[in-house]
Amino acid sequence: MSIVFLILFHWLVVLLLAPFFIGVISKIKAFFAGKRGPSFFQPFFDLRRLFQKNSVYSRTTTWIFRSAPIVNLAAVLVLSLVVPLGFLKAPIQFSGDIFLAAYILGLARFFIICAALDTGSSFEGMGASREAFFSCLCELALFMNFITLSLLTHSISLSSMIGAGIPVSWKLMGPVLLLVAGSLFIVILAENCRIPVDDPDTHLELTMIHEVMILDHSGVDFGYMLYAAAIKLFVFVGILIPIIFPIQSGNPVADMLIFLGGTLGLSVTVGIVESTMARLRLNRVKNLLLLAFALAFFGFVVKMWRM
Amino acid sequence: MLTLLILMPFLCALGVFLPVSKDFRLKLFLVVSLCHGLIVASFWKQLPPGEYHGFLVLDSLGLIVLSIISFLFSSVSVFMIGYFKNEPRSNRVFTACLLFLLSTMSLVAVSYHFGLLWVAIEATTLFSAPLISYHRNQQSLEATWRYLLVCSVGIALALLGTFFLAIAAHNVHTLLLPALLKGASSLSTNWMKLSIIFFIVGYGCKMGLAPTHSWKPEAYGQATGMVAVLMAGALTQCPFLALIRISQICNRAGLTEFYSSILIVSGLLSLIVPAMFILGERNIKRAFAYSSIEHMGILVLGLGLGTVGLFGALFHMINNALAKVIMFLTAGSVAQKYGSSGADEVKGVIHIYPMTGVFLIAALLAGTGVFPFATFHSELLILNAAIISKHYFLAAIGVICLAFMFIGIGRIVLGVIHGHPKEPVLAKKENIYMNAAIVVTVMLLISIGLWMPLPLEKLIHNAVTLIGAVYGTV
Amino acid sequence: MTSWVDASCIIIVFLSLIVLSNYRVAAMIRVFSVQSFVLGLLPFFLHASSISNQDVFIAFVTMVLKAVLVPSILFWAIRHVSMRSEVKPIIGFSSSIIFGAMLIAGVFWVSLSLKLPGKPVSDLILPCSLSTVLLGFMIMVTRTRAVTQVLGYLIMENGIFLFAVSLSDVMPVLIEMGILLDIFVAVFIMAIVVNHINEEFEKNTASVSQSKMGETF
Repeated sequence: MSIVFLILFHWLVVLLLAPFFIGVISKIKAFFAGKRGPSFFQPFFDLRRLFQKNSVYSRTTTWIFRSAPIVNLAAVLVLSLVVPLGFLKAPIQFSGDIFLAAYILGLARFFIICAALDTGSSFEGMGASREAFFSCLCELALFMNFITLSLLTHSISLSSMIGAGIPVSWKLMGPVLLLVAGSLFIVILAENCRIPVDDPDTHLELTMIHEVMILDHSGVDFGYMLYAAAIKLFVFVGILIPIIFPIQSGNPVADMLIFLGGTLGLSVTVGIVESTMARLRLNRVKNLLLLAFALAFFGFVVKMWRM
Repeated sequence: MLTLLILMPFLCALGVFLPVSKDFRLKLFLVVSLCHGLIVASFWKQLPPGEYHGFLVLDSLGLIVLSIISFLFSSVSVFMIGYFKNEPRSNRVFTACLLFLLSTMSLVAVSYHFGLLWVAIEATTLFSAPLISYHRNQQSLEATWRYLLVCSVGIALALLGTFFLAIAAHNVHTLLLPALLKGASSLSTNWMKLSIIFFIVGYGCKMGLAPTHSWKPEAYGQATGMVAVLMAGALTQCPFLALIRISQICNRAGLTEFYSSILIVSGLLSLIVPAMFILGERNIKRAFAYSSIEHMGILVLGLGLGTVGLFGALFHMINNALAKVIMFLTAGSVAQKYGSSGADEVKGVIHIYPMTGVFLIAALLAGTGVFPFATFHSELLILNAAIISKHYFLAAIGVICLAFMFIGIGRIVLGVIHGHPKEPVLAKKENIYMNAAIVVTVMLLISIGLWMPLPLEKLIHNAVTLIGAVYGTV
Repeated sequence: MTSWVDASCIIIVFLSLIVLSNYRVAAMIRVFSVQSFVLGLLPFFLHASSISNQDVFIAFVTMVLKAVLVPSILFWAIRHVSMRSEVKPIIGFSSSIIFGAMLIAGVFWVSLSLKLPGKPVSDLILPCSLSTVLLGFMIMVTRTRAVTQVLGYLIMENGIFLFAVSLSDVMPVLIEMGILLDIFVAVFIMAIVVNHINEEFEKNTASVSQSKMGETF
């Protein structure tokens, strides 16, 4: 029974905290633009508003289109179960759960892309093709990082890859972790459609990647999509935090504070990056992703070299 | 004395920027070059003592290079007086850069520390670059750019080589030449080998060895004749001097075999490549530039072939420099008279300018190493060295390449001398200064070829002993 | 302090990779400036406990020359709009990143067989400096803009300097200053040549368009 309780509690934390950090990012962006910006809790209000609406479906769409938001949300929720969130151990841990994480992400993306194609709109098809291409490159970098991490910690379970082995690794393999952190940061920006790669606020057809695919979703479905995006960002940040702040006191309250502080710091960083950088031209995005891969590969090389 | 040798041109170069007349600048340059020549001549009697804790030392090897530099600058300074009579443009930056160049080249010849040597050689690159783009049209700027880039990269690699040498010599704790020679046996072999490779690639770029020769035809083709003389005759000797210094260490450290095998390969390449390209060339200066690559190849080959080759190489350094004076000064004067150095525009030189025509023939013979000119002897010495050390194949290829060069250059030069210009050219009077500089050099080169003066022979022998090459290395 | 040295080395290579993947010249110059700054900090990490006045002086001069003066000269050289971005590199940006990564791997592999004598502070210095040299070389060879080629040259020099900081006792201060001065003058002259080339280019294009206008009208 306790595992069920743990899972439910994990979900509760994720569901409560994830939109909050989206709010932090918007606040930072507003601050840099010289505005006061909406409240930190604005994402919650948005979601409530969306959940009260009805969805509208085009007649050309099929069940794929309708299932995509739910599958997407379910997938990121499952993903969140294998990621430790600072004070919360991951409820599901087994050797190889890293692959589960990667392919759960793939499943979510597969459904979103299919749904976008399902609408039959050339516009969304374009977005789907871009998403497919960029996520390919992203996955390259992500897996390279996972390989390096698992070599560092001799494990293929996410919890232990970013767990107790990290502080020791910083002492022995500092440069490697530095590279992994840098690479993962770019991956986070790309996977979650943040600014140098994609602009979550824009609705210009020429530049959108992710946003264009979910244009036809409305009401509750759109709410699911937004919620899933927020959780995804939160989960990725949760992966990066233990690498950047490898402090584990053993005291749950201190751990929680470290984790929340780290997440807050990272959200602020993302916000600053979004405010200070211009969005890359679409044909330059692949360079950024390849750069992330190159960093990860460099980390791998240094790791192999330092054996 | 050595400090004076370096500082005098340097200060005068700064003085050129004062508001003085064009003629004054030329005369200043002439006086400085001649003074420099006088000081260097006084060194032939007695080598000066080292200065700055052994950082500046003149040995017999340095004296050879220094004498070459001094002679080239003197003859160019005489030639320049005539050249700028017909040249409307200002010569302020030009003269200043020449003086800076003289200063830094002298520094190369006397520096005994590998770091200092690098600094000086890089400085020669920098000060020669503005000279190439004197005409400041698009081609000359592009040539300058290519020269700057290729040489800077080469020199950067040589810097890396210098640092590798420092690592190899971590027991010695200094890069002063005598200390390195003394501690040669304690040098780490692997790092030394790495450093040798970087030195040859790096300084080879600056010498214009194939395959990094691409800047040479461009730069020499665009530069005025005088600048090409200094670059082909003196500037390229500076990195060669550095290579000789390395070989000094290699000979002590027991790496002669490794070093000379690389030198022989790169020398052979520099013989073959210009011989292939020369046949398609339609420009006098560019053809002479290919000849310069060829001569660099011969020098490097000589350095790689043990004692006899080394004697030949040192002798060839002098001859090559003198031959380059004849070649590029003549080409420069033709280019000024015709406004071009393309073989299609320039025709019938011997009918319109008989003197220049004769000089062109002398340039052809001197540049390709035909008998009374001393280049013949030095090339023969190096060929001899190749045969003595049983490199028959090498000798055969060398002779074939030289033959190709003779055909290639001869075809262009003879075509230029004879024939009739498309449009009738109004013959201008030939300038006495320009001709005097060339005549003196031709006489000198022939007389060395006929009879080598005893002091010169002694100097070269001393230098060879100094380098301490091991005979018959491979 | 070893970890700081390690981190600096990695950052220097990383910044070279960024220059390799970038196409805006201004951004490249800024990245180069940051790289030089990190390079200037390195002596402080290397000799943290016993830094001599001489090292401080050299580090300071390096920073001023390379992180401030050289970038401003380059910015001066690209003040014409037509110089602002790299167009049509010989090897595309994406491929250069992949090549660059492979180059790094190659250098690390080779450096396994090279051992620095004595006890180096960080074993990363050698491979990182060689990687930076090669990346700089690659930038120089594969890019078409003159300014970018200068940047490649400078990154190469930074790589060499990274190597040089680990052996500070061999070169007398005066000669190190000479090396720095040479590089500074080199950049200065290159910038002037770039500028002349640009002016010449604009003059030519202007005259071409004028002559064309003469034909049509």
